[in-house]
Amino acid sequence: MNQSTMKVCIVIPAFNEEKSIYPVIRDILQLHPDFSVLVVNDGSSDRTAQAAKSAGAHVITLPQNLGIGGAVQTGYRYAAAKGFDVAIQVDADGQHKPGELNKILEPIRQGAADMVIGSRFVDKTGYRSTIGRRTGIRLLSALITLITRQPLKDVTSGFRAANRRIIDLFAEDYSSDYPEVDSLVMVKKRNFRILEVPVEMEQRQAGRSSITALKSAYYMIKVSLSIMVKSFR
Amino acid sequence: MTPSNSLLERGIRVERVQALSMALSLGLLFAVLHLMRKRYLREQYSLLWLLFCLVLFVFSLNTRLLEGTAALLGVKYAPALLFLVGIMVCLMLILHLTVVVSRLTERVIRLTQEMGMAKHQLEQLEQGEAR
Repeated sequence: MNQSTMKVCIVIPAFNEEKSIYPVIRDILQLHPDFSVLVVNDGSSDRTAQAAKSAGAHVITLPQNLGIGGAVQTGYRYAAAKGFDVAIQVDADGQHKPGELNKILEPIRQGAADMVIGSRFVDKTGYRSTIGRRTGIRLLSALITLITRQPLKDVTSGFRAANRRIIDLFAEDYSSDYPEVDSLVMVKKRNFRILEVPVEMEQRQAGRSSITALKSAYYMIKVSLSIMVKSFR
Repeated sequence: MTPSNSLLERGIRVERVQALSMALSLGLLFAVLHLMRKRYLREQYSLLWLLFCLVLFVFSLNTRLLEGTAALLGVKYAPALLFLVGIMVCLMLILHLTVVVSRLTERVIRLTQEMGMAKHQLEQLEQGEAR
């Protein structure tokens, strides 16, 4: 396929992000006017949908909140139905920089990988997070590496690009609770190629991560269980 | 409650607790039938409940059956067998229900996604017509 004619869909899951979403979409479309931006409005109670529309995005509003997995899968199903060649997931809170999109898109364009993860382990912007969070990611990373036999570091990164085959896979089957980590196992199980590339990320703009210590312990246990079950399917 | 005569004639002693459990299982049976009649309960589950009522009723009617089974399995205190079976049945039922809930969740997610996409498509079409 001619590289320049690849149809790219940016998928942005959004739940009450009316403040941050407009600049995210505007910046993406300014840099890549040929991309299509889809915002999956996951039952927001604020004006997320209006803000996204006025920035030039397509908006799918879910009639009720499905959570991150269900919302993102809607994007993959849309991309599959509309015949997009590449789907790129971007967070609505502005932590993923539009300027970094090419870094995760390029390997897909060249056919070097089926799925590309934008990873923040290279830390130029002084991206800081709590010790607990870092430890959690490191633990998950070790587990994923063990299962997939591929060293993957930023396993919870939501900045990722997928080619047509991965789009079709995710459109059919995507876990609803811990999609980022789970999907890596799923993709590797089917012998698709994952590539992790370093990208710069912004600090979280709108609010801290709402995860408390107890909740993250609970999260860790559930995710670990979930990926272990996945690896035995 | 006094032991009923007809049962006494057949040589079966009706304890008070036995009468109580019979009444309860009959009550449950009628409740299930009522729910079925009102269509509050789908057939696939009502069958399960009817079976459950029947087993409960038979065991409370005929204590010798319970005692015999308990002796066969080496359970010294016969009613304990009833508890064991009851709890196992409850656990299995709950497990089954969580499976059902999981499947329903799956379906709700799918429907919600489809609906969101259909609405988006409709908006696009309407915008196209307006132009």
